[in-house]
Amino acid sequence: MKAVCWMGKSNVETLNVPDPTILNPHDAIIKITRTAICGSDLHLYNGFIPTMEAGDILGHEFMGVVEEVGQEVTNLRRGDRVVVPFTIACGSCQFCKTKLWSACDNTNPNAHLMEAAYGYSGSGLFGFSHMMGGYAGGQAQYVRVPFANVGPLKIETDLPDEKVLFLSDIFPTGYMAAENAQVQEGDTVAVWGCGPVGQFAIASAFMLGAARVIAIDRIPERLALARQVGAVTVDYSEDDMSVLTALKDLTGGTGPDSCIDAVGLEAHSGDLQGVYDTVKNALLLETDRPAVLRQAIQGVRKGGTVSIPGVYGGLLDKVPFGAAFGKGITMKMGQTNMHNYMKPLLERIEKGQIDPTYIISHRVTLDQVPEMYKIWRDKKENVTKIVIDPWAA
Amino acid sequence: MSKPLSEKPNAEAICSSVAAGILINGHYASPPEGKDGKIWVRTCAKVQSDPATLYALWRNVERAPEWQEQIVEVRKTGERTSHWVMRSGDDRIEWDSEIVNDEPAKRIVWRSIGGDSDNAGEVIFESALGNRGTVVTVLQEFRMGKLASLWETIAGRNPKQAVIENLRHFKALAETGEIPRTQGQPSGPRGRVGEIKQSAYGEKTPTPPATRIAS
Repeated sequence: MKAVCWMGKSNVETLNVPDPTILNPHDAIIKITRTAICGSDLHLYNGFIPTMEAGDILGHEFMGVVEEVGQEVTNLRRGDRVVVPFTIACGSCQFCKTKLWSACDNTNPNAHLMEAAYGYSGSGLFGFSHMMGGYAGGQAQYVRVPFANVGPLKIETDLPDEKVLFLSDIFPTGYMAAENAQVQEGDTVAVWGCGPVGQFAIASAFMLGAARVIAIDRIPERLALARQVGAVTVDYSEDDMSVLTALKDLTGGTGPDSCIDAVGLEAHSGDLQGVYDTVKNALLLETDRPAVLRQAIQGVRKGGTVSIPGVYGGLLDKVPFGAAFGKGITMKMGQTNMHNYMKPLLERIEKGQIDPTYIISHRVTLDQVPEMYKIWRDKKENVTKIVIDPWAA
Repeated sequence: MSKPLSEKPNAEAICSSVAAGILINGHYASPPEGKDGKIWVRTCAKVQSDPATLYALWRNVERAPEWQEQIVEVRKTGERTSHWVMRSGDDRIEWDSEIVNDEPAKRIVWRSIGGDSDNAGEVIFESALGNRGTVVTVLQEFRMGKLASLWETIAGRNPKQAVIENLRHFKALAETGEIPRTQGQPSGPRGRVGEIKQSAYGEKTPTPPATRIAS
């Protein structure tokens, strides 16, 4: 089959590799009908996530048709249409039983690597480094899905793939970000980063009752998308722009009730702190560039909530913890507990409350993917979301 | 009450009661340090099952190859004795083992009684606090010898890590009926560096099958 392989920093290739096979009794093989490139794939592309190795198949946002199931798979059969969550959960451990699916104990074969880095291991993820399980991902024509009784969501209506594809990661991730932000009726919510997760966080904050959402980015087409769903926008790259002043001005001086960092570890900032973080990254004194996190902590109102769906990988420097303590804020974060959100969000799509296709800008083939990673990284061609048909020539 | 851990290799009773010596008279005791050519490993896991079921799975020594790395065969030779075969590539070691303390649904203590390995161990099954499953605590002791050398040749796993991974496999098997694996999945070309890194990550150590090995 064809698959997109990570071959080194800033180097991905579409290669012919062997087809996946059933390896465990709860496995299923899915013939992928649609897949996508995620913002977090750029952290891999840019070499920020350790334990990526040459040959790793990328991709964790995919859906398709069940091709084959292992002997213990009871709720899927060949021909079923499914969306697969990017976190792999066993459904039986202490964490799955308490709905903390992304903290699953039993799905990371390389748990010891993550334990060494983080203290404890979370669930395995598709196509997201050896530390996170080393599972082959879904920017490919086929994929092996472990614990198929637990993860895949059956699509039993004739909704087109593109409308449900983002249930595999970014829609639930944006939704959990808004839920983690503890949005109350009438709240004002600030969202940094208007990429796909930010867009769905904005839409979800409105669903949960936000009266105003302030969307912060520098890319015109992304800010336009945010305005399209009702947000007010702030372009942080404008001359003399102070985001913190903007947040004060837009909230009657109190600051947003919740701040959502949908950017994560590779934040850009033009000022001195941007230079500071880039230098520290280069000297390996810091692994992440937490410019947005600093601003979110600084900007949130007293007693407010900072929610972090953006990915962080390692060590952060100059995080204003005094501000966090001084204002008594709450911080919530983590990989998405996918399994809690897929079904309710599918229902919202079925009822027509949201059509997630509004973020798609590019539809490509597998062979075009290496080039698309560059465009995605450089934010060229007005890119907002790249969807792949793995069978298109 | 609990006694301090024995310094003797192949101790007849490595320790008594209370989670392999984690708490002694209400006070936390650090894992024992390896010394004098001896390796000690203590590790624990919380498993969503009951002590009796987990005891039965562990006590059925002939099922050990399903979840213990590199163990290819275990044959019962008596009510409390068994013969163990471990293999890595072309290397192979064998030893006999004896259960010296057997408390159903609670605790098993064993030691080697001849062959290529000098080891002893204890496993304890206790209900977790707040009815949150069963805490399984393992304490194992190895005398360095041919066994350790063989283990050392297996890239990415020293005996200490192997004990930790084996308990992880035991938990996964007990909770889910399988052991997570990636061996056998497709990938692009790894190159030499990729191969070495995979060894360093322990990905070259065969994941136990989680099902009965056909003999």
